[in-house]
Amino acid sequence: MGLALAVEPPPVAAAPVEDQALIAATLAGNGEAFGELVGRYQRAVYHLAARTLRDSTEAEDATQEAFFKAYRALHSFRPGAKFSTWIFTICYRLCCDRLARRKRLSGDELPDRADPGAGPALLAERNDEARRLRAAIDQLPEKYRTVITLYHLQGKQYDEIATVLNLPLGTVKTHLFRAKEQLRKALTT
Amino acid sequence: MMMDDDALDRALAALPLDEPPADLQQRILARTVYAPRAALRGWELWVIAIAAALVGWFGWVLLSAPHAQERITDTLARVIAVSGLDSMNTVLWLAAGVSATWWIVQLSVPDRRRRIEVR
Repeated sequence: MGLALAVEPPPVAAAPVEDQALIAATLAGNGEAFGELVGRYQRAVYHLAARTLRDSTEAEDATQEAFFKAYRALHSFRPGAKFSTWIFTICYRLCCDRLARRKRLSGDELPDRADPGAGPALLAERNDEARRLRAAIDQLPEKYRTVITLYHLQGKQYDEIATVLNLPLGTVKTHLFRAKEQLRKALTT
Repeated sequence: MMMDDDALDRALAALPLDEPPADLQQRILARTVYAPRAALRGWELWVIAIAAALVGWFGWVLLSAPHAQERITDTLARVIAVSGLDSMNTVLWLAAGVSATWWIVQLSVPDRRRRIEVR
């Protein structure tokens, strides 16, 4: 208990109007506007990919691919929708594809790999509470892990999480409840 | 001791996001806004490919017909005769016309309307 971590608000709460303006500018040929969008969301998208795939190299590739697809399909972006939800949806689908491919190749029920970044630095920080929480999230099954990651990124906007995962709202709430239960158990000292 | 829901929410909210590699944004931009533009679009490539296939097919049909070489030679000779291209005068006038057209295209005529707007 007592996870007093350095408070850093999730960087996803950008005003939708500004995002719309950046999208409009990008469509008008302003490359810097898209650069601003990438700068605004790349960390959250990478986080979602890294938590879902548990592989930093694959997460990088998935993040790049997500922004590439978003850029090519930007003209089809529905005005009034949230860019964060859209880019998370694209990223999540790409992650699902990668997980499915991994499953086909390895034949595992739940194909997860250890993050190659885990080394002496990780061991040294084992007592760090953020690391404990992150490790507990990594131990969750994929469906709970993704829900809890999106809950972290999107806040308590269950409908947005349901949109990204293409799941009914009730299922999202159930998954979240169970994920939290498992996290609480894992973090109980 | 069991952690309560609020404490878990606070811990989740405080959890720092994974840090992407420093050059990730540059790599994304290099693949998107700064990617070299393709000379032709996808549909243009399709049109060119279909047109080339049709030309190839038509050429094959012509050449595979019986006595194709003689027929093609005859047809070409008839076209040249009918259009008057076998006469030196016609060829000279045609060359003069093409040359004059080319020179007119090369001339830069000032845009009168634009000058009026500037004033």
